Amino acid sequence: MKPALIQLLTAFLSSLGFSMVFGLRRRFLAYAALGGLLCWGVYLGMDAWTHMEFLSCLLASSFAVVYAELLARLLKTPATLFVVPAILPLVPGGSLYYTMENVVHGRLEAARSYGQQTLIVALAIAAGISFVVALRELRARR
Amino acid sequence: MDLTRQEQGRLLDCLLEMGDLLLDCGAEIGRVEDTLSRMGHAYGAEQMNVFVIPSLISVSMSFPDTEAITETRRIHSFGNTDFCRLEKINAMSRQCSTAPLPLDELRARLDKVAHGRKPFSMVFWGSVLGGGGFAVFFGGDLWDGLVAAVFAAVVCLLQRRLGRTQLGVVASNLMVSLVIGLGVGLVAELIPALHMDKILIGDIMLLIPGLAMTNAIRNTLLGNTISGVVRLAESLIWAAALAGGFMVALVIVGLLP
Repeated sequence: MKPALIQLLTAFLSSLGFSMVFGLRRRFLAYAALGGLLCWGVYLGMDAWTHMEFLSCLLASSFAVVYAELLARLLKTPATLFVVPAILPLVPGGSLYYTMENVVHGRLEAARSYGQQTLIVALAIAAGISFVVALRELRARR
Repeated sequence: MDLTRQEQGRLLDCLLEMGDLLLDCGAEIGRVEDTLSRMGHAYGAEQMNVFVIPSLISVSMSFPDTEAITETRRIHSFGNTDFCRLEKINAMSRQCSTAPLPLDELRARLDKVAHGRKPFSMVFWGSVLGGGGFAVFFGGDLWDGLVAAVFAAVVCLLQRRLGRTQLGVVASNLMVSLVIGLGVGLVAELIPALHMDKILIGDIMLLIPGLAMTNAIRNTLLGNTISGVVRLAESLIWAAALAGGFMVALVIVGLLP
């Protein structure tokens, strides 16, 4: 199987798993897991197109919020229920781990580069979410 | 709805309980403040001053022609993310904004939410699926995924056990990551075909305060600076504890022949 397909499949499964950990209601589980898959799909697409990690992450997390807000309207629930599982595949667990590993082995240059990547991705996710939330607030207050 | 002085006090108690539950099950600060203000206005309060930070809720409300009443509550519980509860409380507040529930019923419903817990079996199997899934997601093969799933079960059981003790999140993260790091390190040492890094990354995802961190930055960007900074500091300390545990484990495993 192609790596992208495996990633999409496991993004779906992992988001499903975490939605269960968070105690999401059974009938919403499929929507939440689909959010993880779609969000990662957007990231992959954007990354292949722009080759810019920050921008791709930002757009993917913006997409996650839009997806969640739409579902929230439809199902009459808070949007957080779907935002959280959807952005999970973007969370930089890998680079955080490699930062630690490189620190342990004294490779500080590599650790710095992974650490920087971790921070950039975290910032991109937060910025993407805030961007959409701010737009929504603008509409609501008008 | 006209409330007597005594009823106003009972309403205030209910509001604090509601805020406490909301914070505990993972609602953002803004949502808690917003919900409590709306509730107060729905019951006829003229002014609502709600202030929430991660460890404290303060509500001051004034009804027409009476003095304002104020109460604060210290919040100890945090981090039992529970979307089912969040949803129930949200539905309750929506309902109250159109037709306020009688106080007795409000109290009874809050108690019911407070006592209902998400089923442990769901959390357990969710952890197994999440940990295993992410190990493969980050580039591990099927075997790495299976081992990560087994250790995810250990993470889940350990967290449950440690959650009942007085240890804070920092100490329990430190312990869990140490145990998992050692366990995975030993297994990877015995079976060299496994990729230790991928397995650990999968299980880290269960412990990582990535969400707390994201929420913190989000709070800060949207103007809740105090809460944002407090949460950010908290989540960085948790991440450091997590990293500390893993580092010690990696060092010990590295010493093995």
